[in-house]
Amino acid sequence: MSELNKKPEDFAIFSGIGCSAKTPHYINAPGMHTLHGRVIPFASGVKLANPNLTVIADGGDGDLLSIGAGHFVAAGRRNVDMTIIIHNNGVYGLTKGQASPTLPRGEKTKGLQRPNIFDSLNPVALALSVGYTFVARAFSFDVKNTKEIIMKAVKHRGTSVIDMLQPCPTYNDVNTKEWYEKRIYYLDKDPTWDPVVKVASSEESEKKYLQAIQKSLEWGDKIPLGVLYQNDLVPSFGDRISDHISNYFEVPPSESPIVNSEGDPIARMEKIFGDRLIRR
Amino acid sequence: MPLVDIDLIIGGPQGGGIDSAAQIVIRAFSIAGYEAYGIREYYSNIKGRHSYFHVRVKDSPVRSLRYPVDLLVCLDYESPFVHMEDVSEKTKVLYDEDLVNTKIEQVLTMEPETKKHIIEKLRQSGFETTLAGAVNYMKKKGATPYPVSFRNLVVAALGPSKPPARYANTLGASLAMALMGLPSEFTSRGIESVFGKKKEVLEDNEKIVKSGYDFVRTHNSVNVNELPVRPAKEKYILTGNEAIGIGKVIGGLKLQTYYPITPAADESFFLEGHDYFEPVMGEDIDVENEVLKNMGVVVVQAEDEIAAIAMAISGAMTGTRTATGTSGPGFSLMAEALGYAGINEVPVVVTLYQRGGPSTGLPTRNSQADLMFAINAGHGEFPKIVYSSGDVPEAIDDAVRVFNYAEKFQVPVIHILDKNFANSFFLVDDLDYSKIKIERWKMGENSENFERFKLTEDGISPMGMFGKNIIWLTGDEHSELGHITEDPETRDAMMVKRMTKLETILKEIPEEEQVEFIGDKKADVTLLSWGSNKGVILSVFDKLRAEGVKANLVYVKLMNPFPAELVKRYLSTSKTIIDLENNYTGQLATLVRQNCLIEIDNFILKYNGRHTTDDEVYEGIKRILEKKENKVVMVRGA
Ligand SMILES: Cc1ncc(C[n+]2csc(CCOP(=O)(O)OP(=O)(O)O)c2C)c(N)n1
Ligand code: SF4
Ligand SMILES: [Mg+2]
Repeated sequence: MSELNKKPEDFAIFSGIGCSAKTPHYINAPGMHTLHGRVIPFASGVKLANPNLTVIADGGDGDLLSIGAGHFVAAGRRNVDMTIIIHNNGVYGLTKGQASPTLPRGEKTKGLQRPNIFDSLNPVALALSVGYTFVARAFSFDVKNTKEIIMKAVKHRGTSVIDMLQPCPTYNDVNTKEWYEKRIYYLDKDPTWDPVVKVASSEESEKKYLQAIQKSLEWGDKIPLGVLYQNDLVPSFGDRISDHISNYFEVPPSESPIVNSEGDPIARMEKIFGDRLIRR
Repeated sequence: MPLVDIDLIIGGPQGGGIDSAAQIVIRAFSIAGYEAYGIREYYSNIKGRHSYFHVRVKDSPVRSLRYPVDLLVCLDYESPFVHMEDVSEKTKVLYDEDLVNTKIEQVLTMEPETKKHIIEKLRQSGFETTLAGAVNYMKKKGATPYPVSFRNLVVAALGPSKPPARYANTLGASLAMALMGLPSEFTSRGIESVFGKKKEVLEDNEKIVKSGYDFVRTHNSVNVNELPVRPAKEKYILTGNEAIGIGKVIGGLKLQTYYPITPAADESFFLEGHDYFEPVMGEDIDVENEVLKNMGVVVVQAEDEIAAIAMAISGAMTGTRTATGTSGPGFSLMAEALGYAGINEVPVVVTLYQRGGPSTGLPTRNSQADLMFAINAGHGEFPKIVYSSGDVPEAIDDAVRVFNYAEKFQVPVIHILDKNFANSFFLVDDLDYSKIKIERWKMGENSENFERFKLTEDGISPMGMFGKNIIWLTGDEHSELGHITEDPETRDAMMVKRMTKLETILKEIPEEEQVEFIGDKKADVTLLSWGSNKGVILSVFDKLRAEGVKANLVYVKLMNPFPAELVKRYLSTSKTIIDLENNYTGQLATLVRQNCLIEIDNFILKYNGRHTTDDEVYEGIKRILEKKENKVVMVRGA
């Protein structure tokens, strides 16, 4: 927060329900621990009402990709300026280790009676395909890199998604810390890797998108970490609102007066709804 | 007796200009100095199915409708069949004579069940199952048929190149207005008021008006007396949906979220069309301040109703006046989040437009069956306000009030309405802004350890909000700071704090905002009701009073917390109490039994989804008072 030059009141930290959802209570900034699956719309509401706040939404993989999957898809299309962190542990931690949507078919973690019979989904590919403008992956045990990625995500104007690989030692004995450490590598170690779209709707942007999709398919012996795709050229939802309501950022909903200096409502029938007046 | 009091129905295919025809009638009469009121009835269908407008025009204020109608305007081949029962000896039936040979089997838009019922009636009365048969059926009931060739009139007026169907609405309205005796200049002005001043449109319509009026003048089969023009005042024409939108904006709405659903979406759609405006900032605020020259309302179409209410709840926690609007199916999805708003004491408004349930039910028809659901929605126990409005003037004020309640008491408010209200048209005057009060929360002093959920006598803590205070919200039970706790003593204290608000609310909301008691102080009969039936009941009271029957209405607005003492007091003013509602079980009567320990024995109910009318309410009251029946089910409406 201090590195971003902001006060705690400038933030709003959101979470869904799950192990990861206690996050806001551990941060000295305004926080909202919401409902299972609904962290995205709750986080979006605050940002819509007060676009000056920095909004971060934490959710489990079950939270964001199962019960809240509809919101996850819709958020890609809105591009509200906020950061979504998927705490991806392959399981439903809080309800004692059932398979989450990211656990591959055939895996048998401790908490399961039998190997998982669902196929897994690919959060990064999903995020890319529904229009997220910043998609990255981090590994929670690499604190330094994780912090850097979070900072980049927060600074991006639009919705950022971070697929946060996060072992669950209690229930997931397959995707452990050691398992990840053997496989992860950092994309930005390769000097030719450039995930940022620099020209709107050009060949280049398609190339960046396809390269990110391709990287998203890498999972197994090698797991790429870092920013996979970033496009700052797509207007954020707030920008889209301000196309119509031009003072949206200067006088956002939360700061708009509703009564005038005489204490009367500032909105008047004849000024706003004159089209419903039957004129003679 | 009023000199002018005319009911008319204009029927035709959905999307076929019925709405504009009705608008023309209402606007034309308003310009001529008359009062008017109407309701739109339609199928859950985009184009083709039968829809109709029931309108009443009067020389004094009007807010209810009656059967049989004085004029039936059939703009399609289905209308004469489905409105066969809506006529009497006073009715003129205007229909397209080119369609008389249409067999009922050829009416493709009509539902098989409806067909069957009509065929039975026609056969039993010995009529053919054709449009001519339906006209004869109405003739037997005393109605006067008024056949017109729509095609011939349009061709004569505009030549053969213009499609007659496109002019059916203006022609129908012109013929209707000529038959009612409204001078033609007002019809022209009504048309202009609906379609604007586009030259070609105006010219064509002027010819249509003339041909309609000429036809009526030269085909003198019915008596037409020209109506006098009255002193007129400029009025707004508003639907219930629009009234709520207007009340919200005047009350300070800044963020509205919604997922489209009938009959709620029209409100958000209307707001989207009026979301950027010039405010009246008052003397002290620098008018040169560019940035305050216009004000916006952010209207967001969410991905579903769960998202809509989630956004509204968190938006409200920034100090923004925030609301969402929905109907039964969407409201069902909101239940979990309502509890979240409850435990976190969030001032959010949910506008709930009831329609026929359960499930998808009758998506475009009226109902008042979600009262119990609204009161009980959400698991666990938490305070919420459920507040009801029934007509347009009341709804504008109430839309401001519910924001005040939400913020003052820091509770979710469900503003419960119904489809009849939403789709009714009222003529109203401009508002008296000095009477509109905006009351908000008390803010807390900002401090290091800001207690958003501070324990207080009346249950209301100082408000804290995102962007201003460091606060925590959680759906878990929490401490005064807002952190999770399962400590039993804190749990007890928090439960008491929250539930105490129910008493605070009853103490602080003025009595007249809780329940309206209208009519004779001591009466022969008391009606207990809510929502859109208010106008009908009061209109029937005029008739009862003329017969020497004293009546009063206990019109409940605050549904939760329930104003038990007040309702008890009002219900003791007569021996016969009748509960009148648009549901099967009499949900308001159940609330009265539960809260006041008063057993209601008499019911007038309606659940076929169609609007309640004066005649059936009058009949219901009579059957209960004179024939000692206990339950009357109203069944009118096509
Ligand atoms: C509507 C609803 N259904 C079910 C639950 C129970 N529940 C709590 S957490 C959870 C799953 C958590 O898994 P995930 O989102 O992956 O978070 P994790 O605990 O793994 O961090 C479930 C199903 C709930 N709280 N709400
Ligand atoms: S180890 Fe697993 S179960 Fe335990 S808190 Fe972490 S995610 Fe939850
Ligand atoms: Mg998980």
